[in-house]
Amino acid sequence: MTAVFAAGKRQEAKKTGAKWHWLWVIPVISLLAVAAFSIFRPIQVLPRITLAPGYSLTDQNGEALTSEDMRGKITLYTFTYTNCTEPCVQTTGLLQEVQARLNEIDNGDVPIQFVTISVDPEHDTTAVLTEFANQLGADPNIWHFVTGDVTRLKWVIGGGFGLYFGQRDDGSIILDSGYTLVDGAGIIRADYRLYNPDVDIILRDLRLLVEESQNSEGAARYAYEAAHLFLCYPR
Amino acid sequence: MTELVDTAKVQDDQLRSKRAKRIWTAVGLIIIIILGGIALIATGTWQIGPPEFHGMVIQAPQPANNFTLYGADDQPISLRDFRGKTVLLYFGYTFCPDVCPATMVELKQMMADLGNDAENVQVIMISVDPERDTPASLQDYVSHFHPSFIGLTGHNEDEVLAVTTPLGVFYEKHEGTAASGYLIDHTATVSVIDKEGYLRLVYPFGVTGSEMAADLRYIIRD
Repeated sequence: MTAVFAAGKRQEAKKTGAKWHWLWVIPVISLLAVAAFSIFRPIQVLPRITLAPGYSLTDQNGEALTSEDMRGKITLYTFTYTNCTEPCVQTTGLLQEVQARLNEIDNGDVPIQFVTISVDPEHDTTAVLTEFANQLGADPNIWHFVTGDVTRLKWVIGGGFGLYFGQRDDGSIILDSGYTLVDGAGIIRADYRLYNPDVDIILRDLRLLVEESQNSEGAARYAYEAAHLFLCYPR
Repeated sequence: MTELVDTAKVQDDQLRSKRAKRIWTAVGLIIIIILGGIALIATGTWQIGPPEFHGMVIQAPQPANNFTLYGADDQPISLRDFRGKTVLLYFGYTFCPDVCPATMVELKQMMADLGNDAENVQVIMISVDPERDTPASLQDYVSHFHPSFIGLTGHNEDEVLAVTTPLGVFYEKHEGTAASGYLIDHTATVSVIDKEGYLRLVYPFGVTGSEMAADLRYIIRD
């Protein structure tokens, strides 16, 4: 009887010990949550690539447009010149498509802007840029056409956006094709080094930046930072 | 039978006593670790990063472009000369009526807040007005705020653009009054480059010296 009693006590002691055993669940759940976050990526973000260049250029109205004017706005940059005709690929065509489909994005109070930088300041005067903008049906509230002296353009486009442009011996222009998406803090978030990137992908990326700008306040900000930490980039 | 029971009881007591010892040792160790951690943090031996920096964090820091500009007596000074120190770059000009002196005062306050850590920090003001700011007048201007501050200027616009553009800084001359002469609009950010030469943070205008000092205490030890 006493032996049975002692054995019972041992079992009770084991039970008391077992009380603490559930603690292992905490790190396991935490690890699973981290794994689930990085696998299922409930929040997707675009990478913060690098700082966008600072610039002050002149727009189609003859007014200065600076990198500071674009603060707080999501900006899609393209680089071209008005005399760019086949085989040169005119990047503005794609922007026309994006402009036409911007209503698919509920951007609320987050402005989306386009800046097309001309690499041919000699030919692309303000009058030529205005005419070009009109031909494209560019909304003057969102789409800016700018240019400036070649030294500044070299620093901005070559040094900042990393695209080559130059002049051949016959005076014709060589220009790398590219589109760059910059967030409201002045950080490059996407680079499309293609002649014809998919408009759907550009719209998706614009939407992601808008959502990040609208939602990353308060506690949600930490969720967005976690998404950056776990590289939750769209595939 | 009684002997058997007694042996079982003795074994049981020993087991319980051993288990209790283990639990108390574990609890004791945890308490010591927690108290030790608190003490290390409180004495500043352990630097815990601020929960949030006050500037814009460059998520994947990249090496800042090296540059060579000119200091007092026109001697060439490069960014890489300061490897081992945390460098704060500010762009302005000595004729600047408002934003520049306000930022320089905050940088001065930051140095005061940093105390002994200030010797690991180098503030450099780069002039965006090479036309009017001579190396000597610029050095005189920055020294007014703190003796360790350095003023650098380029010999031409190209040299200045090479530094400003990659750091997201623009500048543009425009008309002022007869008294002020021309004015220059410019980005009023402060860029933080760590001791390894990586761009880590960009402060917008309005961040206080104390806020910068709080971040830098972490960055200089990183």
